[in-house]
This record gives sequence, structure tokens and C-alpha cells, in this order.
Amino acid sequence: MERQAAGKKHLHVALAGNPNAGKTSLFNALTGAHHKVGNYPGVTVEKREGIRTYGDLTLHIVDLPGIYSLTAYSLDEVVTRDFVLEQKPDIVVDVLDSTNLERNLYLCLQFQELGIPVVGALNMSDEAESKGIHIDADILSKTLGIPLVKTVGTDGKGTESLLAAVKTASLSGSSGKMPAYGAEIEACLARLEKLLRADVEFSKRYPPRWMAVKLLENDQNAIQKLGQSPRGESIRDQAEADRLWIKKHFGKESEIVITEQRYGYIHGALAEAVRKTPVEKVSTTEKIDRILMNKYLGLPMFFLIIWGIFKLTFTVGAYPVAWLESGQAALSAWLEQIIPPGLLRSFMIDALIGGVGGVLSFIPLIVILFLCISILEDVGYMSRAAFLTDRFLHAFGLHGQSFMPLILGFGCSVPALMATRTLKSPKDRIATILAVPFMSCGAKLPVYVLLAGAFFPDRAADVVMGLYVGGVILSLISTIFLRKTVLKGETTPFVMELPPYRLPTARGILWHVGEKTWQYVKKAGTVILLASIVIWILTTFPVPSDGPHTDEYKLEYSIAGRIGKFIEPAIRPLGFNWKIGVALIPGFTAKELIVSTLGILYGNGGQGAAGAGVSADATGVSADAAGNTAGLSAALRADSSMTPLVALCMMVFVLVMPPCFASIATIKSEAGSKWALFEVVYTLCLAWIMAFLVKSIGGLFV
Amino acid sequence: MRLSDMDEGTGFSVVRVLIGGEVGKRLADMGFTEGANGLLVRGTFMHDPLQVRIRDYDVLIRRSEAHLIEVMPVGGNTEGFTNDTQEYGRKRQRHGFGAAGGWQKAFACRFGRKS
Repeated sequence: MERQAAGKKHLHVALAGNPNAGKTSLFNALTGAHHKVGNYPGVTVEKREGIRTYGDLTLHIVDLPGIYSLTAYSLDEVVTRDFVLEQKPDIVVDVLDSTNLERNLYLCLQFQELGIPVVGALNMSDEAESKGIHIDADILSKTLGIPLVKTVGTDGKGTESLLAAVKTASLSGSSGKMPAYGAEIEACLARLEKLLRADVEFSKRYPPRWMAVKLLENDQNAIQKLGQSPRGESIRDQAEADRLWIKKHFGKESEIVITEQRYGYIHGALAEAVRKTPVEKVSTTEKIDRILMNKYLGLPMFFLIIWGIFKLTFTVGAYPVAWLESGQAALSAWLEQIIPPGLLRSFMIDALIGGVGGVLSFIPLIVILFLCISILEDVGYMSRAAFLTDRFLHAFGLHGQSFMPLILGFGCSVPALMATRTLKSPKDRIATILAVPFMSCGAKLPVYVLLAGAFFPDRAADVVMGLYVGGVILSLISTIFLRKTVLKGETTPFVMELPPYRLPTARGILWHVGEKTWQYVKKAGTVILLASIVIWILTTFPVPSDGPHTDEYKLEYSIAGRIGKFIEPAIRPLGFNWKIGVALIPGFTAKELIVSTLGILYGNGGQGAAGAGVSADATGVSADAAGNTAGLSAALRADSSMTPLVALCMMVFVLVMPPCFASIATIKSEAGSKWALFEVVYTLCLAWIMAFLVKSIGGLFV
Repeated sequence: MRLSDMDEGTGFSVVRVLIGGEVGKRLADMGFTEGANGLLVRGTFMHDPLQVRIRDYDVLIRRSEAHLIEVMPVGGNTEGFTNDTQEYGRKRQRHGFGAAGGWQKAFACRFGRKS
């Protein structure tokens, strides 16, 4: 991509800016529906690309991650600057929050230093006016040397003039005026620049001015890049000497001095261009925060909101779930009529409809959950939740932003794992990802209900509650352990912007929900379908040629039955017989399948087999499910090897064992295959240990 | 005086960030630089983390990070147009809710994470 903008039909535009500056809504306003979502190569930083035609120009717009600065400390920031340096887009459009220009321009300057043409979008200009901030775009534009356009991303105002500015700026190719750092530092910079320019190849790749500033900032990534130059060593030594000199001269670290100079430059520029009329009244945000962020009311309000979300999800969600399930039942019944009994029918009904249906019946719940999260996110409540919970979670090596994913884990792990994207530090994020599956998701509930109801009829609710609480405690202990071992290291600073409350737009919310739901359907749909076919094969083949023609015998004869018998020695110490071993196998696909498999094994086949994966939905507690499982409870109790203690061990095992395939697949895409594999091995070992502990300790009392 | 020792609802001016490296750089990037005016809006129950207004926007930082920022208390009007929180803080103190030297802060000093 050589920069020859003149006469060019295609323009590569990178959209950058601070978080909460309205970048996403401006991106949507620019590209409409024409965009695709992917990842930057090798990292799980989301990358959106869209196309916009403007006159005879085709603009390829890339949405860069929302960042505050261009240091080497966060993945998002490194991704952004590497993108600009390596992909060399024709122009960077920096989306600036007009209500907070000082901090937003701080990033803008750094893009200018990267030697790339920059256009500033003074976004949320309507909000700034109402706050009494009057910006003279012309004066500011002249001071900074870059074109500035006032925009309102939420309703697309100003996008046309922004595009016009982009076109003009791409022709000029100028990146505006560089901030001046004061005589002493400029002298250091000039010296370093001269050294850098001596290596023509290197200075073509990395703009010398930018490189010099980064070296004075003690930027490890830039220092590492110096290794590509044969003169790297001597330049590094010079920079080291300069940094020491600055520290001595100014009395503080050079990176701090550079930052202060930049802010000083911005302050000066804004003093001329921005006029503020004091607005006396207490802001609405402040009024709301006095309740929602209150020392005493904040947390109760937070839990009320969470409770409301779950209530909404499971009461409203129950209707469409029921419709989908009856639709599936009708489809199965119809297939039963037109397909003769045999392998094909079993495959169609048990594997295909059972597998896809399981995912399908989850969709209404997922949509409502995503809807609630998106609203909370867009309103600006998420950072408030982080504020309220950070003190507690930090003690266990988590982060305030871990709380939302953990809570969502009680609904379904997949959206919970996807919600960990808000965590910017990789270690915090992986710690959260590994903690989420210990929250008992909706699919584990039917298993608890069945076993607790059968073996602890008087105290079923206490047992189920105990399992939920136990899961939370285990996740915290596990996190401490992981933080001391595989996730060792300094925790990253908790420095988080608290944006004012903003009314979300319906378009933004729906767009967000649609995108997330589609991601879920794609992931869960393909993985679950594949997994349910595999499980179907395991539980069906080989087909016995003689012997009793019961489903129970067929299952015992199948590969799954043999696996159950094979692993029996391993699970014997937990008090599990081979039947439990067999029942746990489909638990790797989806936890609710454990109930239907137990149904087949304990000669209660009929409804269990046909409705595998359907009979127990996320709500699980419906009277229907309870009715189905009454016979199974009796059959389980009749088994002499199934004592209440063994049932408890089994519940503990189900609580801790590896999450469903859809979750594993999500962990793989969010954290990489290494962590997905780790999660499986870790939880499997931990499940065994925990069940064994329960068995041994419980054995002392029984 | 350190930012972590400030009372809720009081204004300050940044003297300097005491360290460099990731934490110091991050704090400076977010606007904690010499001479910047701010306001400690509120803390949680444990006085950790803290909500701080700096350069006309609000940021959440942990006590351990606030401890790395040397500040000078500033009375009266701090920069910006929302002084209501300061007024709110003074009102609270008058009514005996006492953010100043409150027991939560004492509690946090005693049991909170030190750094």
C-alpha cells in the first residue's frame, strides 16, 4: 500500500479514538450495514472493517480499538500502533469526545507523531454545547495543523463534511504540527532523530520523530524494534543517557516529563479555541450516581439490577423457549411418522434435532441476556459495577470488571465468556475466563434438581443453594491458586474512565445484540451439532445383534457403555458406578444431557431418549421436567450403589467438571487453544479431587 | 499529601506522579500531570477504589494507585463547571455523615491494602 493518494480510487481509513468517544456509532453511521467483524492477526482484539463510497472514492474503513494512549503496556495500544506503522493506512480519523477534549487530543497528538495524516472528528458536539463548552473548530484546527469536523455520531450529523475533509487531507498527506516538548527535550530529540535518520531503511519503516519520542519515553516495544537496525545499540545507549539526563534535570522520570509537556501543549491550544460557560445545575449523572454509587445503597442497587435481569431473562424467556420446544416436539413426531424406525430416524431425531434444538431453545435467553448487557454497557453502568465490586474481587486476584461475566455465568457460560472482552489486561481476562465455568449455569440446574430431589427430598433447596455458593467459593479459591501459579505476575493498574450516563440508541443496541447473538449461534450451532453427532455415534454403535431389545441394553453395548465400564476403576473411588460414568460423557456436550442419559440407563428410557437435550431446558425447574423425572428419581433410589453421599459427589463433579463444548470453543476463541486445553484438564482433575474430598469427608459422618 | 489521604468532596492540584513505568505512565496519560486540578468525588464503602475528577472527566483508580500521586489540597472552586460534588461533600460533613476523617477511611487505612 504505497501512499499515492492523488488520483487513487481506494482510500484506507483507520478510525481511532478514546473509549466512550462514540467511535462505534460513528463507524456505524459511516459504513451502515456493510461491515465485517474479525480479529487482528494472532490476538483477540476485535477488528471491524467496513466500506463506504464517497463520490468516486471507495473508503475502506477499519475500526481500531478504543485507547487512551499509544504506550506498549496494553495489547490494544500495541495493536493500534503496529497497524498504523505496518499497514500504513492513508489516513487516521481520530474520534474526539468534544466534552473532554484535553484527554482526547492527547491521543490525537500521538497519531500525528506517527507521521500519518490525521483528521479529527469533534464528536458529541451537541452534548458539548449543552454542557456550555463552545469550541472554535477553525482556531483549534489552525493551532494543531489538522482538519477538524464537528460530528454527532448517534444521528450521523456531520459525516458528509467529515468525508470531504478526509478526501482533502489524504491528498495533502500532511500530519499537521508536531507538539513541541521544550528546548531541553527538543535538543535530545533532534540528536536521536539525526542518529535514526542515518539508517535510511529503518527510518522508512518507523518515523524518526516518533521513534525518538518513544525512546525517551522508555518504550520497551520501540527499544526492541531498534534491534532491526545495525546502529540500534548505539542509538539505544544515547537514548538511555538522554533519559538519565532528563530525570536528573527535571526531577522525574522522562516518560512523565514527556506526558506533561504534551498536556501542556494541548492546554495552550485549547485556551485559545475553547470557551466555557459555567453551567450551574447539578448534572443528571451526578444525581443518579449519588444513589447508584452510594457507599451503602450502591451494592444493593447493583444486586437489584442483576436480579431484575435474571428475572426478566427467565420469566419472559420461558415463553419463546416453550414455543421452540413444542415446535421441536412436533417436528420429531412428524419425522417419526414419515421415517421408519431405525438408525436414520434415531439420527435425525436424537442427533440433529436434539443437538440443534438444544442450541435453538437457548437463543431467546441469550438474546434477552445480551440485550440487558448491551443496555447496561451503552448506558455506562458497567464501569460503575466495576467500581462497586473491585475491592472485593481484587482481593482474590480478579478485577472489578470480572464481576459482570461471573454473574452472567449463572445464566450461560457462553455470553459470560464473551463478556470478558471488556477486560483489557490479558491476565485479568484469563483469570476471569477460568473462573466463569464454576458458576453453575442454567444447564447444570436440571442435574442438581434431579439428584437433590431424589436423595435429599427434605433439603433439596438447601443442597442446590449450597452447590451454587460452593461454586462461587471454589472459583475464588481457584483464582488465588492460579494467580500464584500459572497466572503469576503483577496485576495491572485499575485506571478506568467513568463516562457520564448516556441514553443508548435503539439502533446501536439492536446492532450489538444481533452481532453477539449471531456469534453465539455460529459457534454453539456448529460445535454443538458436531458434538451431538459424536455423542450419538458413541451411544448408538455398535448395535447389538442379539440380547434384550431395551434401550438400556443397547446403551450398555455401545461404545459409551464400554467407555463407562473402562473408566469405572478411575471413578470407583468417588463411589460412581459405570452408569454414572456413561451419563457423564454427554455432559461434555451439554450438562442437561446427563439427565436424559440417566433416564435411558435406569430403564426410564421412553421420554428421555426422544427428548435428549430438549427435556431439560435452561429454566429446568418447570413442572413438566419435574414430572418427567419422578420415575427416574425412584429408579435412582432403588440402585443400592447410589447413596445420598454418592449423589452429592456426583453433583459436585458436575459442578466442577469441564464446561460444555460451546463454552470450550468460546474459551478457545477468546483465550487460545492452550487455555481451552488447560481448562479441560484442570477442571477434570479438580472435579475428581473435589468429589473425592466430599466422598472421604462425608464418609466420616455417614 | 497523597491523593489516597484526601477527603471525599475536596479539590486538589497534582504536584507529581511519584513513579514512572506502567502505573505512573498510565496515570500521567489519563491526565494526572503537574498542575492539573481535580476533585476526589467519592470512594466506596472501603474507600477503595476512588472516583476522581481530573481534567473535566471522571476516572476510577485504586487506593494503591492514588497513593502514588502527590497532591496539594485546593479550597474553593476547582476547575470545571460541576462543583456540585464539592458542595455535596461539605453538606454531608455538616450533617454529620462526615466524609472527612470518617471511620471508613480509618477502617481502610487499618485493614486496606497498603502499598
